[in-house]
Amino acid sequence: MFAVEMNNVNLYIGDKRILKDITVKIPYNSVFVVMGSSGSGKTTLLKLINRLVDFIDGVRVLGDIRVLGFNLLDHDPYELRKNIGMVFQEPNPFPHLTIYENVAIAARINGVAKKREELEEVVKWALEKAMLWDEVKNRLQDYPHQLSGGQRQRLCLARALAMKPKLLLLDEPTANIDPVNARKLEEAIVSLKDEVTIVMVTHLPHQAARVADYVAVLFEGKVVEHGSAQKVFLHPSTEIAKKLLRGEI
Amino acid sequence: MYSWRRLREKIFIYIISIVSLLALLPIAHLIITVFLNGFNVLLEAGAGFLFKNPPVPLSREIGGIGPSLTGSFLLTVISLPVTVILGLFAAILTTEFPRNPFSLLVDTIAKSLASIPTIAVSMVVFTLVVLPMKRFSALAGATALVIVALPYTYSYFSTMLLSIPSTYREAGFSLAMSRWGVVARILIPIAKRNLMVGVLMTLARIMGETAALLFTCGRLRTGLPSSLMGPVDAIPLLIFDYILSPFEIWRRVAWGAALILLLVYMLIFFAVKFFVKEVRL
Amino acid sequence: MMLSRRDKLFLISLLPFSLSVLAVLVILLFTVVANSLDALKVFCIQLLTSSVWDPENKVYGVLAPIIGSLTTSLIAVLTALVLSILLAILIAEYLRGFSREILSSIVEFTGGLPTIIFAIWASQYLVPFLRDAVMMPLHSYLSFISIFSCRPVTGFSVFSAGIALGISIVPYVTSIILEAYQSIPVAYREACYGMGATKYESIRILLSLARPAVVAALILGFARSLGETTIVVATIGNSMNLTPCIFAPGYTVSALIASQFGNAYLYPYAESVLYFSMLIVAVISLVLSLYASSVIIKWRSRIVV
Repeated sequence: MFAVEMNNVNLYIGDKRILKDITVKIPYNSVFVVMGSSGSGKTTLLKLINRLVDFIDGVRVLGDIRVLGFNLLDHDPYELRKNIGMVFQEPNPFPHLTIYENVAIAARINGVAKKREELEEVVKWALEKAMLWDEVKNRLQDYPHQLSGGQRQRLCLARALAMKPKLLLLDEPTANIDPVNARKLEEAIVSLKDEVTIVMVTHLPHQAARVADYVAVLFEGKVVEHGSAQKVFLHPSTEIAKKLLRGEI
Repeated sequence: MYSWRRLREKIFIYIISIVSLLALLPIAHLIITVFLNGFNVLLEAGAGFLFKNPPVPLSREIGGIGPSLTGSFLLTVISLPVTVILGLFAAILTTEFPRNPFSLLVDTIAKSLASIPTIAVSMVVFTLVVLPMKRFSALAGATALVIVALPYTYSYFSTMLLSIPSTYREAGFSLAMSRWGVVARILIPIAKRNLMVGVLMTLARIMGETAALLFTCGRLRTGLPSSLMGPVDAIPLLIFDYILSPFEIWRRVAWGAALILLLVYMLIFFAVKFFVKEVRL
Repeated sequence: MMLSRRDKLFLISLLPFSLSVLAVLVILLFTVVANSLDALKVFCIQLLTSSVWDPENKVYGVLAPIIGSLTTSLIAVLTALVLSILLAILIAEYLRGFSREILSSIVEFTGGLPTIIFAIWASQYLVPFLRDAVMMPLHSYLSFISIFSCRPVTGFSVFSAGIALGISIVPYVTSIILEAYQSIPVAYREACYGMGATKYESIRILLSLARPAVVAALILGFARSLGETTIVVATIGNSMNLTPCIFAPGYTVSALIASQFGNAYLYPYAESVLYFSMLIVAVISLVLSLYASSVIIKWRSRIVV
């Protein structure tokens, strides 16, 4: 059984075909990295998994997709999203909530914790996993705008984790933060592998090499390379994949 | 050649400054005269102006605008929440489902309503509500006010919701929030200052509207209103009737009432400025 | 968009409140049209060719009010034309920081001011001022021109109403012009300065670029003036007399309705005639507003770089 299984999936926005005949299998408890140049459809693929693509005007999805055992297109997306957490490319903690509340809200609305003590425990756990606890434990009532970019992104990770999701989607999570914080974030991600299945989009080959168990390479909406990290990095079969992994496109 | 262009620049600046000053003169004069005339009346009438009945045409005593003030208050209390809720729901519809045919319909209509003369609204409410009920009523007046204020409230809330970065919505959905959840827990709280501004702007519009009330709420100036199904008066209506009347004492009451209206409007205006300054995103 | 079941329920939950807006418009239009039919059937063209208000004898002609509405609105737009453009330019190009804030606030303040306060000031101060400072001189020297040919006694006239209306729509028109002017992409302004134009020259170029929007703003101002009631009733003099002279008292449709509708149900056809006049004004106003709005939208998409 796979966490995510796609067979010949095509996604259209209007008349344009964005994802072409996608076939991937993402095993449970792995770090699955999706790579590709900009415009290749990586973010769309990610947002397909938790059906955030629903909100795009003119979107059509054809094909067979199973996520966490459910048929993605038939199942109620709001139910399914309870098991899927997401961290976006641009950190987006809620500006009107404190650091504590940002993490707590995720736990509360998903029924992970209800009482004060339970919530406080979950918030602490999530912030520790996101490697942010030490930096904010004395300022939980501060607001996100008082944090640095890297801290905000880790806050978003904590928020996603507080849902206790089975699947974690990360859209170029280190794209807008400094290298030190980026490393911290990568460490946090790898340490989570045992508890969640991680699907991460990145355009940095070195980052992929550091964290991935499995890799899929996307080019213009098609999967051009797919397999274990070792196989893809050491023995890429297509020219495009080779160029991408060398950082040439 | 060269200095002619420079000269033209200077001349233009002078012209534009003078003309703009000219444009500001009327409003300055207006405020000053309303204050002067109004204060004169209020000083003479005292605090009783706020709750006494208006004077009989040929009396010496100024009396007050009590019934009209109460009427305005009643009308506002009914129409403000209704307008805000209708406007907000319509704005939520059009921003959450941007290309939906319902949304396009609601958007076009809400904006078209703004170009309907307000007196037409008064006529229609008279024919459809006042005539069948056989009396003027606060209900009819409030209905007319809601119709008149709604387009502006809707426009404002629509702009407000559209200005919230979509990433916060997405974050909410990624946390498995429901549609109403995202609206209530994220969009509204983020926009709460603008929401307040929208409410205040609606308030200003409602309490200053005259034409919509001409044939709807009646003109009860001889005592306090007893029910929503009965006639009430409103401050703008009082001013309208009295300023055009031949009676000196009534014209003075109109100035006093105008000052009160202006003061309330200024209060709302500055409150809005205060709230807008505070917004940080 | 892909709508799941829950999305559809959300949509449905919003519909009742939102569609009430549709119901309101439909009811308004239907009522106005339905109530105009009687007058149309009985009087028809007669209504538009004479100027008479005699409910007791069932003689009606609303030419004067309709012409009055159009004339006052025209005067209003001409008054607001220069003021609004210059104010918009001043705010957009010449002022910064505090002074800009202040001026914008003053314009906003005037725009939201209850029209009744404006009406009261106009009737007590503006009208006498216009009579003495503008109308009397114009009449004394230029009375051979037909529009100045009558002697202004009280000052209450089509002219005064037009000027008062004009002053009152300045904030509205200014804000539309300002918004349009500020939405011109910076690239065009840079192009102007890049070719060595002075500030004044650049403004002229940018203004001509914005011309469709400015015209649309004026049309919107015209449409808004058509519907205005309180200011007009207070300054126009309320007379059914039809004359080319703008210094004479006159009527607009909304002023006529304001003074006559309250008692109209007592006489047969009176209500219907008033509804009919309102229908004409409302249709003109609506058509102009929609046209002007679409012009602005098209213009906006054309100037995007």
